[in-house]
Amino acid sequence: MGGASSEESVGKTAQAGGVTVVTIDGGTLDVRQINETIRRHLAAGDRELTVLGPGARHNLAVAILTDARIVVDGPVGYYCGGMSDGVRLEIRGSAGWGVAECLMSGEVVVDGNAGNSAAASIRGGVVVVRGSTGARAGIAMKGGLLVIGGDCGYMAGFMMQRGRIIVCGNAGPALADSMYEGVVFVGGEIAELGNDTVVSEASREEHAEIRDTLARYGMKGPDRFRKVVSGRKLWNYDKKELEAWKAAF
Amino acid sequence: MCGIVGYLDKAGAADVPVGGKLLAMLTALGCRGPDSAGVAIWGAPADGLIVRVKAGDRGEVEPFRRAIVNTARKLGRVQRVLTQGRLIRFEIAKADPAELQAALEAVSPDVEVVSVGRRLEIVKQVGAPRNLEAQFGVSRLTGTHGIGHTRLSTESRVDLSHSQPFWAHGTVDLAVVHNGHVTNYHKLRRTYEQDGTRFYTGNDSEVIAVYLARKRREGLTLREALAASVRDLDGSFSYVAATADAVGFAKDPYCLKPLLVAETARAVAVANEEIAIQAALGAGYQACEPGAGAIAVWEAPRPRSPSEKPRRRVA
Repeated sequence: MGGASSEESVGKTAQAGGVTVVTIDGGTLDVRQINETIRRHLAAGDRELTVLGPGARHNLAVAILTDARIVVDGPVGYYCGGMSDGVRLEIRGSAGWGVAECLMSGEVVVDGNAGNSAAASIRGGVVVVRGSTGARAGIAMKGGLLVIGGDCGYMAGFMMQRGRIIVCGNAGPALADSMYEGVVFVGGEIAELGNDTVVSEASREEHAEIRDTLARYGMKGPDRFRKVVSGRKLWNYDKKELEAWKAAF
Repeated sequence: MCGIVGYLDKAGAADVPVGGKLLAMLTALGCRGPDSAGVAIWGAPADGLIVRVKAGDRGEVEPFRRAIVNTARKLGRVQRVLTQGRLIRFEIAKADPAELQAALEAVSPDVEVVSVGRRLEIVKQVGAPRNLEAQFGVSRLTGTHGIGHTRLSTESRVDLSHSQPFWAHGTVDLAVVHNGHVTNYHKLRRTYEQDGTRFYTGNDSEVIAVYLARKRREGLTLREALAASVRDLDGSFSYVAATADAVGFAKDPYCLKPLLVAETARAVAVANEEIAIQAALGAGYQACEPGAGAIAVWEAPRPRSPSEKPRRRVA
C-alpha cells in the first residue's frame, strides 16, 4: 500500500437535509484503503457515504453490515457490495461479475449493465440492475428479489431455491434451469426454457405486484409478464424419468 | 487467468496511437497475469512484408540477427532492420511469405517467425505489460486496430514463444489473443499435425490461431470462422482475433470467461474487465457482457499507405 493516506482523501462533509454526507475520493486510494475508510466512517456512526473515482475496480464496498447508504459514483469491477447485510448501495455506472453476491438484506441498485452472476446466491434484500445482465444472474438465489430492467443472459436463475426474479426484457437460453423453488417473471421473449420449468401467464395480482415493484425504482416494464416456476420433476430421482435426468445433466 | 484486449479506431487513419491505448488497457489488466505480455498492431501497409523473428531463446542475439538478415536478403530487398530484445524486425519487398518463413526457421531450431504481415506487427516479451514500453516503445506504435494479452501461465512454459498474441503461422496478417482453456486442444492438435501443421508451443491457445488460419484457407470470412469455432472448440474461452480488415471476438457457449464490449462513435474496445475499457475510452460509453457463445466482428477502416498522399481538393 502506498500513495496518499486515506485521511487526506476524505472530502469535506456536506449537510444535506440534516444528514452528514461523507465523500471519499477513491481516485487517490487503493481498494483496501477505500474499504477501510468506509468501515471507519460506519464505525463512527456516519450513515451517508459517497465514493468518488471507483475506477471500475473490484471488491468495493463489500461486507457492509449496517443499513448505511453508500453511493459509488461510477463503474465498478467484480463483486461490488458482496457479502453485505442491510446496506443501501447505489452504483452510478455498470458493474462487473458477481455484483451483490450473497446479499443477506438491504438494497443494491446498478444504474448500468451488470456482468455475469449478478445477485448470485442472495438470501434476501433487493438487487436492481437497470440495464442488462450477463450469464447466470440470480444463480442459486435463496431468497430476495432481483430486478433486471433490460435482458438477462444465459442460465439466469439456475438452481434458484427461493426468491423472485423480474426480467423486463428478453431472457437468454436455459432460463431457470433446474430451479427448486422461487419464481422468474419475464416481460420479453424467452430464448429457451431450462430443464424442469413450467411457464404460465402471471396473474392479475402478480402483475400489480410487479408494477408496484418497478415503480418503486422509477422503472416501467411491458404490460404482460410470463411466470416461470419449477416443474418439480427433478426433486426426486425416478427411474421412469431417466430421459429428463439425462437432459438435466 | 490472463487478460485480453482489443481496440479499433473508426477514423481509419493508420497513424492513430493504438499502441498507447493497448498499453493502457493491458497495464490496467496487469493483475490478471504478469508472466508475459504483448500486442499485435495493424499499422500502415508496408511496401512488402513486415517481419518479426525471434532470435533464439538464449545466447547472444547478434549471430542470430546476422544469419536471419542474410537469409532474408537472398529472398528480397531487406530494409529497416531493427533489434529489440530478442526480436529482429525488418521489411522485405516482394517475398513469398511461406518461402520466407521456411528459410528463416531453417536458420536454427531456436528461430521462430513471430509475425508476418503487410500491416501486422507483433511485439511480445516475458514479464508484465509495463515492460513492453521499455523494450518496444509500444505507446508510439500506430495503426487502425490492435489486440493485446497479459498472461498468467497455467499449463505450459513461460518464454517468448509462449507469449501472446499468437500469429497464425503462415497466414499473413492474422493474429489472436485468448483467455481460458481449450479442452479439446490435444485432439485438435493431433488432427492438424497429421496434416503437417507445425505447432510452436505447448500452449492450448495456439490451436485457436491454427484453427482460424485453416478456416480462412477454406474460404470462410473471419465472422464465419469465429462462429464455427464456438461449436468446434471445447472449454472456457474468450478470444479476440483480427486480420488487416477486421477485428472480432468469440465467447464459449457457457459464458465462462469474461469479455466486455464497449462501442462509441469513435472506437470499439473489448477487454475482460471494465477497468481496461475505462483506460481506453475514459467516460461516455456503455459496457456490456455479451451472451453465451456470442461473436462479433467490426470491419477495420482501410488506412492510407505511406506512399499515398492525403488527397487535396482542387478548386
